[in-house]
Amino acid sequence: MREMISMIVVLTLLASVSGGLLAAVKSGTEVRIEEQILKFQKAPAIESLFTDVTNDPLKERFNIETQERTLQIFPAKLQDGSAAVAFETFGKGGYGGDIGLMVAIDLDSDKLVGARVTTHAETPGLGSRAKDDPSFVSQFAGKPIDADLALKSDNGTIDAISGATVTSRAVTRAAIQAQELYSKLKPEILKQIQ
Amino acid sequence: MEFFELAIGSIFINNIILAQFLGICPFIGTSKKMETAVGMSMAVVFVMVMAGMITWSVDTFLLKALNVEYLRTLSFILVIASLVQFVEMFLKKSIPGLYAGLGIFLPLITTNCAVMGTCLLNIGNEYDFTKALVSAFSYALGFGLALILFAGVRERVNLGRVPKPLQDTSIGLVTAGIIALTFTSFRGMV
Amino acid sequence: MAQSLAKEFTKGLWAEIPPFRLVLGLCPTLAVTKTVENGIGMGLATTFVLVFSNLLVSLLRNTIPPKVRIACYIVIIATFVTIVELVMQAFTYPLFLKLGIFIPLIVVNCIVLGRAEAFASKNTPVLSVADGLGIGIGFTLSLASLGAVRELIGSGTITIWGGNPVFAVGDWYQPFSFMVEAPGAFVALGLMLAGMNLIGKK
Repeated sequence: MREMISMIVVLTLLASVSGGLLAAVKSGTEVRIEEQILKFQKAPAIESLFTDVTNDPLKERFNIETQERTLQIFPAKLQDGSAAVAFETFGKGGYGGDIGLMVAIDLDSDKLVGARVTTHAETPGLGSRAKDDPSFVSQFAGKPIDADLALKSDNGTIDAISGATVTSRAVTRAAIQAQELYSKLKPEILKQIQ
Repeated sequence: MEFFELAIGSIFINNIILAQFLGICPFIGTSKKMETAVGMSMAVVFVMVMAGMITWSVDTFLLKALNVEYLRTLSFILVIASLVQFVEMFLKKSIPGLYAGLGIFLPLITTNCAVMGTCLLNIGNEYDFTKALVSAFSYALGFGLALILFAGVRERVNLGRVPKPLQDTSIGLVTAGIIALTFTSFRGMV
Repeated sequence: MAQSLAKEFTKGLWAEIPPFRLVLGLCPTLAVTKTVENGIGMGLATTFVLVFSNLLVSLLRNTIPPKVRIACYIVIIATFVTIVELVMQAFTYPLFLKLGIFIPLIVVNCIVLGRAEAFASKNTPVLSVADGLGIGIGFTLSLASLGAVRELIGSGTITIWGGNPVFAVGDWYQPFSFMVEAPGAFVALGLMLAGMNLIGKK
């Protein structure tokens, strides 16, 4: 009986100390992790999407609360006078988890300016081409936000990356999600930019 | 169709051992004899499917609900360790025949990263329950397929005269490399 | 005392160097050694976990009831693994992305649990730390050298830290990309193991 009690006491103590320690480390690193994600994932995607901006989309970012999460919006003023926004959506169902896609949309024409994969954990050399080789995501450029985006194998118009249909489908899902979010949130975005 | 794609992808293209590098230790350790390879594969299928279901439920109903996702690693490994212990006790009492076959492999599964890896992949992919189940089962089948194929080849390789420094694990790894090479040709399938 | 301390430390560097002599922890060895940098990062993360879990297991070796010792070790190891995971996200984010799922999987790396059970649970804290440090550094060296072989042949570069290669062979070299893919990992490790056997056999 004594042995039993000591077993339970030791395990409970150990587990609670560990839980407390982890909670402390978590809250200590939370802000920095956020900054790192911004710096290493979002910044490069935004820079390659907007090559000729007159403002700093990263500095001028603002948040919009949606039902599911806080959406970070990066507004850009382009050299030719038009305005665009970029934000990140996540396509479910990749091989290695959600695929993050930074989508840029022109505010005047409501057309997709472009898209870049930000995060993925797909198979190197196959699914990873969604990020490394921009020819797949460049198919989204110029599509209006009400365009029907689907892979050719799903009776759509987008060419999948060969050998990586699952990845391509997840990226397309992220793009569709961006279209939906944009149509829903456009008034809010315009208000915030003013 | 979606499930079929997921299953084929998990068994062949993203084979848990040969493409994702999970569960290499038992892959090398239990492949010297066909008999042990079959035993290990069956034990893994059994535990992986159960672990996949339980960790998915723990993650969805406990960790996500309480917003403590950073405890995932800790809770998953505890779930797997206690599950293995439980399965071992249950088999010993109720199905001694099966226990005699699988018994010695069960404790090894706790530190088999294929099981933990599959559970983490399921969560990372945000699969729903059915998909998590299909993926756990197919990853386990892939594990068994690779292990049994490898054991068959290895038994034959060891019959030949292998140069001294290459003997045992070394030639085993090179053989595994060649099998992995054949698996890369499944890539165009999905 | 000093002598045995040195002995426990140095055995991890050659006599029991994982994963060559101590054939454990093969998954991260094969999976992350596409570049030297990844190998070093993974090695250091594992070393951190090894040293601290060895220390704690050794300190608590008389408190932990024998029947639940494995569960206790696992809790201790998992705690340090999660700390590494969070700290890496905060400070070396690009590296964290490359190592991916293999950071949480340190928890099932048999080297860590193996050292806790076989060494730290029977020895003093000082010796256990020396053992953890030795095995950890040995593991890091192995990963770095396997990474060097694979990266040099497979991509024609050597990347030590920060994502930029410090050495590149030049344009004349046609990279043999088989080496950085999954099958090449097995073959490279197998041949290196054979090399070790050739040198080590007396």
